[in-house]
Amino acid sequence: MTKENVQGAAEEEQQAQSKKGLKKQQKEAEKAAKKAEKQAKLAAEQQEADEDDFAKDRYGICPMVQSQQKLDRALVRVQDLTPEKAEQQIWVRARIHTSRAKGKQCFLVLRHQQFTVQALLAVGERASKQMVKFAANLTKESIIDVEAVVKKVEQKIESCSQQDVELHVERIFVISQSEARLPLQLEDAVRPEGEGDEEGRATVNQDTRLDNRVIDLRTTTSQAIFRLQSGVCQLFRDTLINKGFVEIQTPKIISAASEGGANVFTVSYFKTSAYLAQSPQLYKQMCICADFDKVFCVGPVFRAEDSNTHRHLTEFVGLDIEMAFNYHYHEVIDSITDTMVQIFKGLRDRFQTEIQTVNKQYPSEPFKFLEPTLRLEYKEAVAMLKAAGVEMGDEEDLSTPNEKLLGRLVKEKYDTDFYVLDKYPLAVRPFYTMPDPNNPKYSNSYDMFMRGEEILSGAQRVHDAQLLTERAMHHNIDLEKIKAYIDSFRYGAPPHAGGGIGLERVTMLYLGLHNVRQTSMFPRDPKRLTP
Amino acid sequence: MALRELSSLEKFLGLKKPNKYSTQGGQKVPVLQNSNGPALIGLVTIASHLIREAKRPELLGDSAEQRAVVQQWLEHRITRLDNCSKEEINIILKDLNRYLEDKVYLAGNVFTLADILMYYGIHHIVVELAVQEKERYLNVTRWFDHIQHYPGVRHHLPPVVVLRNRIYPSGRH
Repeated sequence: MTKENVQGAAEEEQQAQSKKGLKKQQKEAEKAAKKAEKQAKLAAEQQEADEDDFAKDRYGICPMVQSQQKLDRALVRVQDLTPEKAEQQIWVRARIHTSRAKGKQCFLVLRHQQFTVQALLAVGERASKQMVKFAANLTKESIIDVEAVVKKVEQKIESCSQQDVELHVERIFVISQSEARLPLQLEDAVRPEGEGDEEGRATVNQDTRLDNRVIDLRTTTSQAIFRLQSGVCQLFRDTLINKGFVEIQTPKIISAASEGGANVFTVSYFKTSAYLAQSPQLYKQMCICADFDKVFCVGPVFRAEDSNTHRHLTEFVGLDIEMAFNYHYHEVIDSITDTMVQIFKGLRDRFQTEIQTVNKQYPSEPFKFLEPTLRLEYKEAVAMLKAAGVEMGDEEDLSTPNEKLLGRLVKEKYDTDFYVLDKYPLAVRPFYTMPDPNNPKYSNSYDMFMRGEEILSGAQRVHDAQLLTERAMHHNIDLEKIKAYIDSFRYGAPPHAGGGIGLERVTMLYLGLHNVRQTSMFPRDPKRLTP
Repeated sequence: MALRELSSLEKFLGLKKPNKYSTQGGQKVPVLQNSNGPALIGLVTIASHLIREAKRPELLGDSAEQRAVVQQWLEHRITRLDNCSKEEINIILKDLNRYLEDKVYLAGNVFTLADILMYYGIHHIVVELAVQEKERYLNVTRWFDHIQHYPGVRHHLPPVVVLRNRIYPSGRH
């Protein structure tokens, strides 16, 4: 290489170096600039925060309520926020359903049980920026106390239950904060199935709901379902008490299985074992023999059936009736159907809000029934099914699809969702069922159906010790196990009949829902033991 | 199976002398050995022959277009309907339901051999349908009920019950 070249190369090197150096300097300058920017921003925010927060005492997180003081403050329920209260300044305690900040405003939707109302917090004389920011950052489901002025709105707020009013927030305090991450979103839990699929939005599937039952029960639909269920129970009790029935409590730990040994839970009982009652059957009857005449009981029923269907639970609440009659068991059927009709009427008249709330998520046709209740004989039902093309024997039991088809045929012909099927074949009923006096192949037993699904199985019971022994032997039942039961009929027993319904199933079918777990608060089935 | 269809067809057409059929192959394809001419093989071939013998050519279609439609349905019966799998049944019923939306018979407005053979072929499917499914494929059920009541068609097959009123409100369940 010539000297010149070397020199040139050296110069180039120097130039390259300075180019690199330039680049390096540029990068450092950029970095410094960014840092300065950040610092400036922080400083600005600090300044903002330090800016005079004139509303500091109008918001915040309350210390945990340990009953420190007795505040004489009336809290208004969201349910009662109507245009009548316009311009009043009131306190409300509710949960934050949603919160949305938009510039200088924050929109909150407050929820209490089935009812929601919109609340507005805007930066102004009464609220500072920090207060609005605080409100916007509150987590969903937190319980807050809000002091606000009720204002009438011109346009109805469609998305809330209280559509005619809005709250303008003056003070906002957190009573109990919720964690930020919820196991399920309540809006998703209330979304109807079809809508979810159409718009690509999420719905919550049943297992998630049941695993996080406490949150799922907060939804408006769940609140409505269980309020209606409470109504069913209450109407059942009231109607029967008015008819002169006595409420009894029967033991649930028993020594012998009442409905057959296959589906019974065994518990260890000191040095031996005992069973959980499959039904209060035996004890109801013993009460009748003890001259209580008309009894009913409300209590849990345990069935160890390994059925994973939409309508079976291992533990459910049974509403059971037993009644002594004068000459014919139809007196009892009339009494039971009248009770059911009173329940349906009571639900229809007093729980319309709840029924509408449930229908928003689970639309269904209103429940129809006739007065007096429709009663068909088993033979007629078989004829109807045969006319529709079903092949079955005259004394065959109805399979579930046939029951459902029969329900639809009856609905189409008589326009009722509730009916009684009388005179079942003797062979398919338990041993304590009284046979039909005129035709030994049939029995004085009946089933009641709602929307094509069975809700009650009942019959006239055998009240004669000798006939009972014969029937038990015919069914190959160990007489030793039911000795106490048979003995109770040896000292004069009145003719009696009865039946039992499942509370969860009745609620499910009345509302037109499709899974009994929706109407059981903490359902039990072969696969679920918690919560 | 095919032999019984052919004898029912003969009775429908009023042919006095029943023919003697044999079968060939694993599929039991019917064969008619004629005294004058080569043997006729295949359900559709023999059926068409019987119709010409009974001098009822209108059952194969009046116009050229109608004849083509009839042939199409006869081919559909042999190729797609016979020995179809369970998954295909729903597809076949759905297509048939859509096709029959605005038609009384398969080949337009007249009763043809297409209706008879399709009825024989689809009977074993329809007899197994639940009431709800029969209502879902409403047009198929309507056409089926019409054909099975046509005088002389139903001979060897049990009648399928079709309810007069709809018991499942449309669009639910």
